[in-house]
Amino acid sequence: MRNPTRLISIDIGSTHTKSALFELDGANGRLLARHAHPTTQEDLGRGAGDTLRALLGGRKDDSLERLRADTPVRLSSSAKGGLSIVAIGLVPELTLELARMAAMSAGGKVVGSYAYSLTQADMRAIETRAPDILLLAGGTDGGHTDCVLRNAARIAESSFSGPVLYAGNRAAADEVAALLRHKSLAVADNIMPAMRAVEIEPARQAIRRIFLERIVAGKGLARLAEQLGTQPQPTPLGVLRLVEAIPAHVPAWTDFCVVDLGGATTDFYSHAEPPVADERVVIKGVPEPHAKRTVEGDLGLRVSAPSVREEARELVATRLAEHRLDETALNRYMETIAAQPGHIAAGEPDETLDGILAEACVRMALERHAGRYEEAYTPQGKIFVQTGKDLRGVKRVIGSGGFLSVPANSHWLRRAFAAVGCPGRSGLPLVPEAPAFHADRAGLFPLLGNLADLWPEAAARLAVATLADADATAPGPPVDIATGQQGAHVP
Amino acid sequence: MNKPTTVVLGVIGADCHSVGNKILEMFFADKGYHVVNLGVMVSQEEFIHAALETDARAILVSSLYGHGEIDCQGLREGCREAGLDDMLLYVGGNLVVGKTPFETVERKFKAMGFDRVFGPHANLEEAVALLEDDLRRHAKSD
Ligand code: B12
Repeated sequence: MRNPTRLISIDIGSTHTKSALFELDGANGRLLARHAHPTTQEDLGRGAGDTLRALLGGRKDDSLERLRADTPVRLSSSAKGGLSIVAIGLVPELTLELARMAAMSAGGKVVGSYAYSLTQADMRAIETRAPDILLLAGGTDGGHTDCVLRNAARIAESSFSGPVLYAGNRAAADEVAALLRHKSLAVADNIMPAMRAVEIEPARQAIRRIFLERIVAGKGLARLAEQLGTQPQPTPLGVLRLVEAIPAHVPAWTDFCVVDLGGATTDFYSHAEPPVADERVVIKGVPEPHAKRTVEGDLGLRVSAPSVREEARELVATRLAEHRLDETALNRYMETIAAQPGHIAAGEPDETLDGILAEACVRMALERHAGRYEEAYTPQGKIFVQTGKDLRGVKRVIGSGGFLSVPANSHWLRRAFAAVGCPGRSGLPLVPEAPAFHADRAGLFPLLGNLADLWPEAAARLAVATLADADATAPGPPVDIATGQQGAHVP
Repeated sequence: MNKPTTVVLGVIGADCHSVGNKILEMFFADKGYHVVNLGVMVSQEEFIHAALETDARAILVSSLYGHGEIDCQGLREGCREAGLDDMLLYVGGNLVVGKTPFETVERKFKAMGFDRVFGPHANLEEAVALLEDDLRRHAKSD
């Protein structure tokens, strides 16, 4: 019989580094211990040393290598702004949309999107933004070439010195390579080899390779990764892998969403089976992947709070009135969180104000993640024209990240899903109809995400077992987050 | 080795008639074309976007349900806006409601910027011969 494996998962965030010691035995997993400390950006190794000692014991002067000698470590990071990617495509709804999809499903954050030909001003903006990766696409295989060649020439003469990933028309790949021979270029298969054919997996893998070979060092992770004997990955990539693993390994867990609400960004993950074909429904646009991630860089509870307030003005005003709060209370709170992005709300009105901002973030992230449908009347009767991801069959929603991982905050999540309908956009959003709500109360999703590639079954089962059921009206028997067993104590 | 010529095919507007569309797809593929078939209920934008990404030389539009005139207006202008100046535009099917003489229909659609106009009983062999011709002429003027 195989012995259980003990391993450590570490997730380095921009403010906090979280870690856990797991024991895996085939398809089963247990959480043995957790640890969190402020990220020591200037010396990641020091923080990691503290982590390993906290989880495993060991002497102060033991090296990292010695501390982790018997326990493999898995590492992810979203520090230093995560993995920033600029996406370039030809048509906004086609190759640009797919380039963005590939970037986000690789765990990246899209910090710029450009369709058609890059102008000089576009290129200056990209140089200034200096993303970690430039993803260049456009044209089906054998299709349009002029545009990608013009864009490659623009990049060639720019001062951008980071990695460029070409995943466009194969027929133009040689010329693109010639134009960009002085840059750090990688080439992956075309993300749209034929009209409406989606092939983002090769680009996603290429981004992973570039992250390891070119970016890890710049993020100060290379030495740490070596000391820990592991290869780091962007945090969201692990979470998306976990989202992919859950339906494969946990019965009845298909069709769900995970919302990870942070201080600067809101990550939205979904797994949804495609709806059964219906001849009254006409699907437009590019096909959607089963497991999808979108990330919103302008939605978050702290750094991004000003843009949330700006974009959800009406909703925020309505909620303030309902809670008998006024704009001055919010103004004051905005000043507090601007001064201290690490601020944790304690007491009123701060907790309610966090809730209002959280509802606005989730609602807008949901609107942007979900597809839309419109009713059209043809002489034959009513039909539906549908674009984007159909989330109507989604049965469960999981709140993750600081605020949403607290079960008591689930009612804000529920509200965000209850009344969707964005003024100014045509059609109706394809959002979940009557989902149940859960909270990732032990904050394990990013940590289990690190295990999802090698131990998908154990990671998936443990992820689901450790959720808190936000729908229970009376508190049921407490669940031991370490084992997922009911009846044990909650630490 | 010459790469096959790409043509974009689809039924425009809110039109669901799919039988002719399948026949056209098979016919043009059989004649050696790379057919990008967008199916039924295709908007002008989708025709243009597909033509852009696939570097198509011609757009073949069908309209069967009688609203072709409204649905097709502006397609030529849209192509020009997108930089598809040399795009060949063909249209066919039951283009208008009622018994308008074909010559009138043809004049209308040519005025809208279509290069060739076909009725419901169009001879497809003739259509492909015209297409070859038009493509050759366009290639020369390039
Ligand atoms: C089957 C049919 C339907 C089926 C379609 C099923 C399906 N999935 O396709 C159903 C019942 C759903 C239907 C619905 C309607 N239909 Co109907 N339908 C027909 C019917 C009987 C046959 C169509 C067909 O499949 N023909 C066979 C194919 C091979 O021929 P085709 O489509 O004409 O295509 C060929 C040519 O036109 C040409 N061609 C077409 N496009 C192009 C383009 C180029 C570039 C070229 C070179 C050639 C070319 O080549 C094609 C291949 O050979 C026709 C009458 C008829 N006999 O044509 C009416 C007909 C087309 N329908 C008609 C109408 C009015 C309707 C409805 C509005 C009726 C209603 N009130 O419900 C709805 C419209 C629904 C919608 N939103 O589109 C009218 C259109 C009248 C007009 N244009 O003036 C017709 C002509 C019947 C009639 N005489 O009134 N219909």
